[in-house]
Order: sequence, then structure tokens, then C-alpha cells
Amino acid sequence: MAKKVLVVDDDPDMRNAITIILESQDYKIITAQDGVEALASLRAEQPDLMILDLLMPNMDGFAVLKTLQDGRWSKYRETPILILSSVREDASRRRYELETALELNVDDYIEKPVSPDILIQRVNNLLKDKGD
Amino acid sequence: MANKSSSRSRQEEINEPELTPEEAALVLRIGVFVNMRWLAIAGVIIASLLADLVLNVRFPLTPLYIICAVMVAYNFILFLQARNLKVESSGSTPKSLAIRLGNLAPLHLMPKRGATLIEKARFIGNIHIALDLIVLIMLLHFAGGIENPFIFYFIFHVMIAGILLHYRVVYFLATAAILLVSLLVGLEYSGVIPHVHLEGFASTELYQQGNYIMGVLIALASCIYGSAYMVTQISGELRKRQREVVTLKDIGISEKVKELRDITKELTKLEEGREKLLHFLGIVAHDLKAPLSAVQSYLQLMVGGFVGTISDKQREMMDRSIYRINGLLNLISDLLDISRIESGQIVSEVEETSLLAIIEDSVEDAHALAEIKNIKLTVEVPKTLPQIEASDIRIQQVITNLLSNAIKFTPEKGNIKIKAINKRNLIQVEVADTGTGISSEDLPHIFEDFYRGGDQEKAGTGLGLSIAKRVIEAHGGRIWAESPNPEDNKGRGCKFCCTLPKKLAQISGKKEKVKPGKKQ
Repeated sequence: MAKKVLVVDDDPDMRNAITIILESQDYKIITAQDGVEALASLRAEQPDLMILDLLMPNMDGFAVLKTLQDGRWSKYRETPILILSSVREDASRRRYELETALELNVDDYIEKPVSPDILIQRVNNLLKDKGD
Repeated sequence: MANKSSSRSRQEEINEPELTPEEAALVLRIGVFVNMRWLAIAGVIIASLLADLVLNVRFPLTPLYIICAVMVAYNFILFLQARNLKVESSGSTPKSLAIRLGNLAPLHLMPKRGATLIEKARFIGNIHIALDLIVLIMLLHFAGGIENPFIFYFIFHVMIAGILLHYRVVYFLATAAILLVSLLVGLEYSGVIPHVHLEGFASTELYQQGNYIMGVLIALASCIYGSAYMVTQISGELRKRQREVVTLKDIGISEKVKELRDITKELTKLEEGREKLLHFLGIVAHDLKAPLSAVQSYLQLMVGGFVGTISDKQREMMDRSIYRINGLLNLISDLLDISRIESGQIVSEVEETSLLAIIEDSVEDAHALAEIKNIKLTVEVPKTLPQIEASDIRIQQVITNLLSNAIKFTPEKGNIKIKAINKRNLIQVEVADTGTGISSEDLPHIFEDFYRGGDQEKAGTGLGLSIAKRVIEAHGGRIWAESPNPEDNKGRGCKFCCTLPKKLAQISGKKEKVKPGKKQ
């Protein structure tokens, strides 16, 4: 059965591009345009991977990560997360640590823009790691 | 003005009062008068001895010496008082003075509680002068009265009063002196009190010669009034000047304080403006990055054949577009770096860091590029290099930049050497190459924003070295370049050096004035 990937990004073109890239690898893609939608989809669709943008209106990626720390979301803690953001990794990590006093615990981090080949490779890696 | 008085009272509290020029002069003068009185006592003794032994003038000396002893006694008390004269001398009159005061009721002007230093000094002065007047009259009486030419010494007395005291007191004293002398001479003349004759000096009848007495008294009175007028005028003028100096000084100080306040305000405004601008730069850079990333993704999708086949011509154009957008993205990322560094973010990134590890990582990244051009990359870093306090990400950025520059400008089969030297308080990192070098026209400018060297083709954003300079300087270090590379025996290439302090006593993300490098 095709693996489900949740793509969270406020930029419709970015969502579209990622969808095209990953659909070429026979992944099933669900999209969300902010953190609120992302959490709803996470619950409803139970994806195998979440590709998460950080800077978004309404609820940003940092808030999503923080929410997932909550005990009520422990069910989804095993879902791998790939951050895809235009912010540099070290800057994001520092910001998250400053805001939450927690380490930014994600499975992978890619800085935008990303070439299709690299995105495919990193997504494959994450989904392979999960076993089965 | 309110400020002034409050600062004055604060000075009093800390018991380290600063005298105004007028007060200082007054205190000094009281001291001088005490000293003059010592001299006067000595003078009286010497003069009477001289009169007795040399001039053979005969008159009883014992009363004179008794008076001198009294003078010594009260002058000593006044000497102690003058020494204790301070701005805040606990507000009360010393006991010894208070007792004496009872006897001098007509002359004293008792200062109020908490009187100013000037009032106190004047009060002490009043006591001095009144005592002196009485002593002088008694001395005159026992030393021959009208027969004694020292009768004119009353002028000194009035002059001293004129310097020290209020002018009304001076005229009062002058009048008192004249009246007392006239009274003394008159009483002696009329025989009410005995006359002491200076035997062998003046005629025995002199004190009975009405005309002579009148003449001397008129001369004395005019001299006394004349000097009283002169001295009070001069010292009044002087006091006015001293007050003016104080006023001018206060005005000067308050103007400087206002200037400083204005400058501080201006600086704060500038700093706020700079911070706003940096914030703005950060946002703009981010907002430029998002759409460019989307465009880049689409282009890569098309080039990658995800959305159908494209012609070679189309592919070529898209590759160019990707290349150009990459240039833009690099520029944006550099601008973001600058806004982060300039707003002092490095401070939060600093931690104990191994420079050895940073250099090894940078070299590993650069290796692939160097290999393509067959460049020999030599590393001379002692394994014992101590840890330093630095932002590892930023320092790695600088070293990677220096290495990739070296590779970019070094032809095939060239040599690049990276070296770290452990100095006393700092570590010096050097990247030397055998490349094209830097022209002497370019050399002074290579660390400036957007400065691109002569070779436009190979130049990047023009911000790499300016960011490197910002990073190194934010760490309290220095960066400079030498060309040609002094270590190359053929005189090629260039050498970039930067220093990093091991400990950051005070790190600053803000731009500081830097000393120029050796060869810049």
C-alpha cells in the first residue's frame, strides 16, 4: 500500500511542487496550509510522514512541534517529521530552544529550495527507516 | 536652578564639601589673619624691647606683656576655629565663642542656626576684629597714648576688617576705632585716666597739647575712613567677580549636561533606526526567498522531467534560470547573515568550540572542489590547539569562505595551505594560496560590502569577505589579506589571516572601529 505523506506549507506553489515530486514516487499526498489543518489531518489521515514548513500564518511549524510534545498527541510521536523551511537549521533550532527550552527533535531538516532528487532521497530514507 | 541646590545639599551630605571660590578665599583669609596676629604679637614685643634697649625709651612693659599673653590666648582659640571652618560645621557656634560673645554684645552679629559658611566666617571675623580693637586700644593706652606713632596701626585693623567683613561692619568699626582712640586720648588729656609717658621719646607735655592731638586725630580719622572706603570697594568688586565665576561655571555645566542628554537621545534614536532597518532587511530577505524557492522548485521539476519532456533549448534556458536564481538565493542568504550578525546574534551562538574540528570540517567540504582542480590542500593545525569561545557555525562559514575563495582563484595544480598558530591570547588562522593574487588597487577594498575584484566572472555576491570580516570582528578578532603570498617563492597568490581571541571578555555583535591590518 502506498505510504501517506502529509505536506504542510502555506505556499500553494510549494505544496504543488512537492506533491508532483513525491507522487512520482507513488506516495499518497495529503496537504495542509497551516498548523491547525496539519494537526487535523494528522489525526484524520494518520500519515506515515509529515513534511512541515516552519513559517506559516495561523499556527506555525514551531507551534505544531510544541503541540506534539503534549501527552494527548503521544500517539503521533512516532510519525517522522521532515522540516522543509527557508530558515537555516541552526537559526530554527536556536529559536525553538529559546521559545520552549526544548531541543528541536525532528527526523530531518532541509533548507529551501530543495532539488527534487534530494527531497526524494531524504523522504525515501525516512520511510525506509520506519521498517516494514 | 532646582538641580543646582539639590546637588549642593548632596555634597554636604557626603561631608566632602567643595568650597566656592568666595568661600575658599574667605577661609584662607581668616587663616592669614590668625598668622598676621602672631606676627603682630611678636612685633609688639620686639618694638617694646627695641624702644627700651636701643632707643632708651622708658615706660612700664609689664602691662604690654600681659596684653600680649591675652592675645596669644585668644588667637590660639581663633586658630582652632579657623581650622574647623567647613561648609557644614554642625550648624552651632563653638562653646568658647559663645561665652566670649556675651562680652561683645554690641559688636557681634550672631549667625543663625544652619548659617552658610560665609555667614559663619564673617561672624568669626567680627569676633576677631572686635577683640583686636579692644586690645589695640589697651596697647595704645599702656604704650604712651597720643605719644606713640603706632597709633596709625589702627589703619591696618580697618583694612583687615574691610577684606574680611561686610562693608557696613567695616564702617562701624572704623567709626568705633576713631571714637575709642579719641575717647582714650581725651580721657588722658582731661586726667580722668592716668597717662603713660614714653620717657626719652616724646615731650612730657605732648598729651596736653590740644592742637597736636586734634591734628593727629583728624589725620588718623581721614586715613581710617579712606582705607575703609578703598578696601571695601576693592574687596566688594572681588567678591562680585568670584560669584560671577561660580554662576558662569554652573551655567557651563548645565549647558554641557543638556548637550550630553541631547546626544544620548540622538544616539538612542539612531540605534533604534538601525535596529528597525536590520529587522526590515531580515523580513524582506525572507519574503524574497519564499517565492524564489517556489519558482526554483518548478524549474527543477521541469528540468527533472517530472512534468513531461522539454526541448534542449528549453532545458538550457531553465538551467540558466536555476543558476541565476541560485545567485539571488545566495545573495539573500548573505543579507540575512549580515542582518543576524549586525543585530548581535553571534553573542547567543558563542560556546566552547574546537577550532581544530571546525577547520577539519571545512577542509573536508573543500576537498572535493580542490580535487577537481588538482589543487594540493595542506593542513598545518596542531592537534593540541586549545578550545576557544566562538560561534562554531560562523567561524566555519568564514573558513569555508576563505578556502573556497582560494580554490576559486587558484589555477590547476596549485597549492593551498591552511595553518593555525597558537599564540598567547589568540589563535591565528592563515589560508595561503598560489593563485592569481589580489591587485594592489583591490587589496584595500576586498572586505567592503559588494566589492567585487577585477575578475567579475568569478565573483559571487560580493558579500563573502565582508561577512567574514563582520564575523571575525564580532569575535573581537582581526582579519587581513596579504598579496602576493609572502610564503610563495614565486611571488604568486595571496594569504588571508584572521585572529580569534581564546576568551571573549566582552563579545560584541555590533560593528566596532578596527585598527587597520598590517598591509591594508
